[in-house]
Amino acid sequence: MAAAKQLPGPQDLSDDEREALEALLFSLADDEFVIAERYTEWQVRAPTIESDISVANIAQDELGHARLYYDLLEDFGYDEPDLIWERDADEWRHSTLCELPFEEGDWADYVVRSFLFDEAEYIRLQALEGSSYPRLADRIGKIMAEEKYHREHARSWLERLCEDDESRARMQDAVDRLMPHALTLFAPTDEDIEARIDDLGIRTENLLTMREEWLDEVVPRLESVGLHVEEAQLPEQYDVHHADFDMPDELGRDQSHTDAWFDLYDEFTKSYRELGRHEAAKIMKDPDDE
Amino acid sequence: MYTRTTGIKMQSIGGPIGKWLLTIVNGREMDIETVKERAGPREFSAKDDMPEEYRKAATRMIQFHANSEIMGAYLERPFIRQAPSLERKLAFSAKTQDELGHGQLLYRAAESLGVKTRDEMLDELANGEGKFLNCFHYPMESWVETPMIAFFVDGAAMRRQATLKNTSWEPYAHAMDKVCFEEGFHVKHGEAILHELMTGSKKEQEMTQEAFEKWWPRIIQFFGPTDKQSTHHGFASEVGLKQMSNDELRRAFLNSYVPKAEKYGLEIPDTPRITKNDDGTYEVNEDDLDWDEFFQIAKNEYEPGVGQIDGRKKAQEAVAWVRESMDKHEQTIYGGGESPQAAD
Repeated sequence: MAAAKQLPGPQDLSDDEREALEALLFSLADDEFVIAERYTEWQVRAPTIESDISVANIAQDELGHARLYYDLLEDFGYDEPDLIWERDADEWRHSTLCELPFEEGDWADYVVRSFLFDEAEYIRLQALEGSSYPRLADRIGKIMAEEKYHREHARSWLERLCEDDESRARMQDAVDRLMPHALTLFAPTDEDIEARIDDLGIRTENLLTMREEWLDEVVPRLESVGLHVEEAQLPEQYDVHHADFDMPDELGRDQSHTDAWFDLYDEFTKSYRELGRHEAAKIMKDPDDE
Repeated sequence: MYTRTTGIKMQSIGGPIGKWLLTIVNGREMDIETVKERAGPREFSAKDDMPEEYRKAATRMIQFHANSEIMGAYLERPFIRQAPSLERKLAFSAKTQDELGHGQLLYRAAESLGVKTRDEMLDELANGEGKFLNCFHYPMESWVETPMIAFFVDGAAMRRQATLKNTSWEPYAHAMDKVCFEEGFHVKHGEAILHELMTGSKKEQEMTQEAFEKWWPRIIQFFGPTDKQSTHHGFASEVGLKQMSNDELRRAFLNSYVPKAEKYGLEIPDTPRITKNDDGTYEVNEDDLDWDEFFQIAKNEYEPGVGQIDGRKKAQEAVAWVRESMDKHEQTIYGGGESPQAAD
């Protein structure tokens, strides 16, 4: 693909350009925010003190990434309450993988979820490094560095928990449950807008290509540790067969969500509502000054 | 690089074998009189062959401290989710993570005494035998309660911990260097939340005052009973483990925190009665505090606290399968011998 021309700064975008950017940024920011919300649930409940500390670390990285993406949306005149605290639950665009609840103690859920997410995240970030929107492209390097570590972490847990039959069975359950939702990471917000994101060069790979790339990465890895992916065929056959994957009813990206999301939303907005807040405290430096 | 222990295998140089080796090297245990004579800041470490009485007293103290870090984090964790701003959420997650890190460090310092392994101490905590700070036995329901812990309780803890930089067990003092450094940030974080609430809407201010009234007596009891009633104080002071008495610490806390509370617009409740001395220092009327409740808590028999202990136990049991799987992994790789690494 020929390099697209650079987009101007936030104030000089056309309506179409801005709409495309917003759809992409909301998908990115909401994914990070919501998956972090689930990760923090492991704090003070992880299997060991050491794993507790690392899941906290990863959750904070993801929250930090969400912060960077939401900050880019603030360029368009939104503030944090518009973006998080007062935005209706049915306007969020994260993949349903991020929002699903898990059973107490289901560490396999954490491992599989983060594995599926981090592999996707890595591919998605590669497609943003050369984004035509400089404000976005500039932030990818920092995020990418942290995501590389997350990917290593998830891969090593995946291998370790598949060594014995009992824990591998738990891992298989998690794969069966999470895989369809992970596919929604590559679902479109809206077909037209996704095409525009690609045409404008905001992203250098389209969703379908990224999904193929992701499947080529995750399916062989899962199979190499003795896990099975329903409906998946050998890698070279994906082109033919990927359409056979069952997608869940709720895709997330198109603002449809599972019931669990609405409960989660009520929980994390509880204090904000109880206190009758209208603003959200900023206590860190602006990302542009960091 | 430090070794990350799994919590599954004993890794420290303590334990019966470590102690036996030390006895070979040193010949004999230090007697109590020598310990008392030498007791000074950071005087003793694993290279000294400390008498059992010292090792047990130090273990009790450090284990209590480590348990408190874990149970404090357990109490605060719902507020990672409930934080009303993205950056506050980040800060709360980081604070909780720090507390776990302190627990990790302190259990290691306790293990170095060779009395108990970390696993044993964590088991005791789960079984309701492990003791921890009174304040962490109470439930927390609302965001307005968070500065009661993060500002007042952590501030009180800072007082005590600062003196422990001079405790006679060197690994404990060493742990305090890092703990105090990080706690400084936690107290600032708590203070900023308090400031935000007390400059917020009238409703927020009222809710915060109400929370303060509920927590204030518990916070004062943080320092424990008066020295007359404290059972372990004498020996711990004599061997340099404890640096300041309960009474001294409580007074120092009041002197600094009564003005701070007032500065933020909080009204000090009428009970317990607090009197101001001629020299401007504060004194609390101890008889106004509920010591029955305090001692019930100290025995881990206070209902809400029992709920917290059991809740944490249940969460830990639910992930026991992961620890077992990690054990099998280590046995496969290291053939059941000593293993240097585990998943984190």
